[in-house]
Amino acid sequence: MREHSVLVVDDEPIVRESIRDWLTEAGYRVTTAETGEEALELVAARDFSVLVVDLRLPGSTGLKVLEAVKSERPWIRTIVITAYPSAETAQEARRLGAIDYMLKPFAPDDLERLINDTLASIPPEATVIGEAEAPVAAVPVAEAIEVKETFVVDRDGLRRLFDGLAATMQTIGVVEKQGRYVFARVDEFDDLCLNYDVTAHPPTRYLFPARETVLKMDLGESPTTEPISEATPQVLFGVHPYDIQAIELLDEVFLTKHSDPNYISRRQSTVIVGVDCLRPSPHAFAPSMGTDRADTGFDLLLTDLGDRFMVRVGSQRGADLLAEHTEASAPSDKEIATQKALLDAARDQYEVTLNVARERLPKLLEDRYHDEYWEERSATCLSCGSCIMVCPTCFCFDVVDEVALDLKTGERIRRWDGCMLTDFAVVAGGENFRHDKASRFRHRIFRKGKYVLERYGMVGCVGCGRCKTACLADIASPAEAFNAIAEKAKIETARRLIGKASPDAGLYAPRPAKLLRVEELAANEKVFELAFEDGSALGHDPGQFVEVSILGIGEAPISISSSPTRGDTFELAVRNVGNVTRALHNLKKGATVGIRGPFGNGFPIEALEWKDLLLVAGGIGLFPLRSLIQYVLDRRDRFGRVTILCGTRSPQERMFEAELAEWAAIENVEYHETVDRGDDTWKGHVGVITTLIPELEISPAKTMSVVVGPPIMYRFVIGELKKKGLADEQIVMSLERRMKCGVGKCGHCQINGVYACQEGPVFTLAELRSLREAV
Amino acid sequence: MRPKVAFFDFTCCEGCQLDTLNIEGQDLVDLVSAIDIVEFREVATGKADRYDIAFVEGSITRESEIPRLKDIRERADIVIALGACAHIGGINCLKNHLPMDEALEIVYGDDAKYYDTIPARPIHAVIPVDFSVPGCPINTAELLRIVKELLLGKTPALPNYPVCVECKMAGNVCVFERGGSCLGPVIRGGCNAVCVTAGRHCWGCRGLVDDPNLDSQKDVLTKYGLTVEQVVEKFKIYNTYTEVAQ
Repeated sequence: MREHSVLVVDDEPIVRESIRDWLTEAGYRVTTAETGEEALELVAARDFSVLVVDLRLPGSTGLKVLEAVKSERPWIRTIVITAYPSAETAQEARRLGAIDYMLKPFAPDDLERLINDTLASIPPEATVIGEAEAPVAAVPVAEAIEVKETFVVDRDGLRRLFDGLAATMQTIGVVEKQGRYVFARVDEFDDLCLNYDVTAHPPTRYLFPARETVLKMDLGESPTTEPISEATPQVLFGVHPYDIQAIELLDEVFLTKHSDPNYISRRQSTVIVGVDCLRPSPHAFAPSMGTDRADTGFDLLLTDLGDRFMVRVGSQRGADLLAEHTEASAPSDKEIATQKALLDAARDQYEVTLNVARERLPKLLEDRYHDEYWEERSATCLSCGSCIMVCPTCFCFDVVDEVALDLKTGERIRRWDGCMLTDFAVVAGGENFRHDKASRFRHRIFRKGKYVLERYGMVGCVGCGRCKTACLADIASPAEAFNAIAEKAKIETARRLIGKASPDAGLYAPRPAKLLRVEELAANEKVFELAFEDGSALGHDPGQFVEVSILGIGEAPISISSSPTRGDTFELAVRNVGNVTRALHNLKKGATVGIRGPFGNGFPIEALEWKDLLLVAGGIGLFPLRSLIQYVLDRRDRFGRVTILCGTRSPQERMFEAELAEWAAIENVEYHETVDRGDDTWKGHVGVITTLIPELEISPAKTMSVVVGPPIMYRFVIGELKKKGLADEQIVMSLERRMKCGVGKCGHCQINGVYACQEGPVFTLAELRSLREAV
Repeated sequence: MRPKVAFFDFTCCEGCQLDTLNIEGQDLVDLVSAIDIVEFREVATGKADRYDIAFVEGSITRESEIPRLKDIRERADIVIALGACAHIGGINCLKNHLPMDEALEIVYGDDAKYYDTIPARPIHAVIPVDFSVPGCPINTAELLRIVKELLLGKTPALPNYPVCVECKMAGNVCVFERGGSCLGPVIRGGCNAVCVTAGRHCWGCRGLVDDPNLDSQKDVLTKYGLTVEQVVEKFKIYNTYTEVAQ
């Protein structure tokens, strides 16, 4: 492997040094620089393959450095990193030739992979010839389908379109069978029904058949497999809008992320000609699901005006087919008015409606998970699977091997399966994870009203009503379940919210507390000891916070720095950074401040007990973590090995020095401390806090780590902890957010869907993985 | 070594063995080269001491059949019930609704005194049975699957979903919607709903699924116009033994 030189430019030591360490470990020669000027001097003097540069630097900005490097050394590949992304800087960075723009913090692997890919893409002579390649333009992922023009064809014109399609592909349409309508092969236009109510089975089976081969297998000495995906060009002629929307859901499921070759090959060879449903089935409730009309998902969409058809073009392919096979004219105003009248009249004919907006279903269902409804209503369920087998939005399947009698070759088959069948969730040991009818019934309704919507952003039920027709016990209609749940919720909400509500008069009123002691910690930090004037204890858990009120100035969330095990008073360590904290810093012993709280979840004591603890404090992260450290030391016998890591920028900024010295002296506590920059007075370790971790000996299986520090520190510390083998569930963090009300209402502290003041501020890394705004 | 396989029959029409012989073309060639058929009265004479696999067709309806079946069990590593009579008792059990004397009388008239009979039962009521190939007659594809799975060392299992699943997969219009009635919702699938696909309804020859909701199925049948007696008659045809056992 060629040895490449990387120059890392960042003024944050923890970032700079962490990147240096990762890349050195990955085999690169790494040089670091703190400022843009220093970087440019280095570039002028030495050879580098890759430059990793922070956007914000003291003096010259990262973009200026990038510009200068590009003009002097155009072959150097540059990666811009920033904790403050914006569209403008990203665009500018790319314009200047940066090959990527990464948001800090990032994972070691991501950076390493990017650098590897970058270097692999450099042709051998590139460093000699110079000119850097322009960044590759994004490949368009889909043809533009915003065609949406409307035409009119007469019946003969439509016949020509059908015949034209039939000449080159299999034509699937609706025919009558045994008193119902079904999709089937239709060769003659005159056999085609375009005025049906609903088919017994959805057309989705032509994209996702009941049974298909996914692999051919050779079981011989050296077993091999060959993926199989077969498709015949076909047109689905006369698909109703609700089924079109169901197909769009299947597209989302099968085409995005782990795209499914079998589905793709069928989908790509399928033309969809829709037709508006003017004669709704008595069990359908498509308007309530927003699926009685379609805007996308078809190549052509027809409306039957009687002797003519309105044709809406939904794709370039649809436009081409229409132009190729028939003559269409622009619709008259009268025809447009007729179409609208027909569609509106159809909408009025639906007999079933949801009595609740479909957007409310996820929350309503969530709140009713334990309702007796599921047990009661599923009592007559036959577990026959008819509801799921006729559902256009059901797509679950099983995979089975079938071998030939010679036992040498075989096929891996996938076939429909579904959650209403008794054995769907059974594992080899015999355990059935949805063993009773009620849990299966509930799961299906939750998929239709909640899970699919949340997972794919599209409704999980298109309101076709087929399941209600197919269900002999007549319990399957999601509309019935949704309405029943909404009705129960309505009654309960009225009773709970209005009838029985008891106001919490003191919700926003702070309780007066006296400052018993004020002590300076560092230039800008003080610790305050407080007690409520009425003598009551705060009653907090380690890691919780309070809202501190200075009347006339305002409120600020402050984490509690002391452990509840230390008596009825409590301590708040506060950095002077804003109006409230400045006012607090100006108060003397004996003054009164307002306190609301405690709020938040605190550190997960139960999960920490009986485990080895690795407690990591960076900077003022020590303030909240101190409450836990004190707690652990006071109940030392309930915890395994205890290791404390403390990091500060410089010796002058160290706080609680006496207490730190105590911790260092405790026999059954392993204590390590470091400063980013040392001086003459400092005899201890120098380096960013991550440098303390590699030396530690920990047992990953029984260790919990609690990390509190500035946001920039988290990812780097996490990177080191992951190297030690800790799982995401074993890494606990406390996040800083703007917690204004503290009671989960004002919205300032929200991280994606979560309120930091309620579900946080303490989270495990596992919880944070799903919260993209978190770190 | 090819496994030694034998076929036996008790009270039955031998249709399932006949269907086994009806396996066509390459499949039959491959089957007889994969296994060593040591006893099969319909095709060959011969007798062996031990069998790796014994297929047993027919239900048990006479005392004299019991020791013969037990003897087969002792000499076979694996016993597989072949078809509805062996698997669930099948239509032979219809006579169990009568006193045995009366049943003999109806069938044999004056000669009844020369015969003995006992209430009919599936073979699992007499000996432990390892696997079953359900149906009246059997689905030969299922028989082949079970043989292949045994040859591969896999434990064969029957589908535990009702006929409705494969009926919907086949794209059929539901029998109830066509104005008929059907046992499909509680009967074990695996037959590809062959009867419904052919325009009829499910008679129940493959027996009940593991956890059938019989009360609900009876409600459904009465809701669709059957009297209680008619409902019971429907279940009796193939599932008398199971019904009585419950």
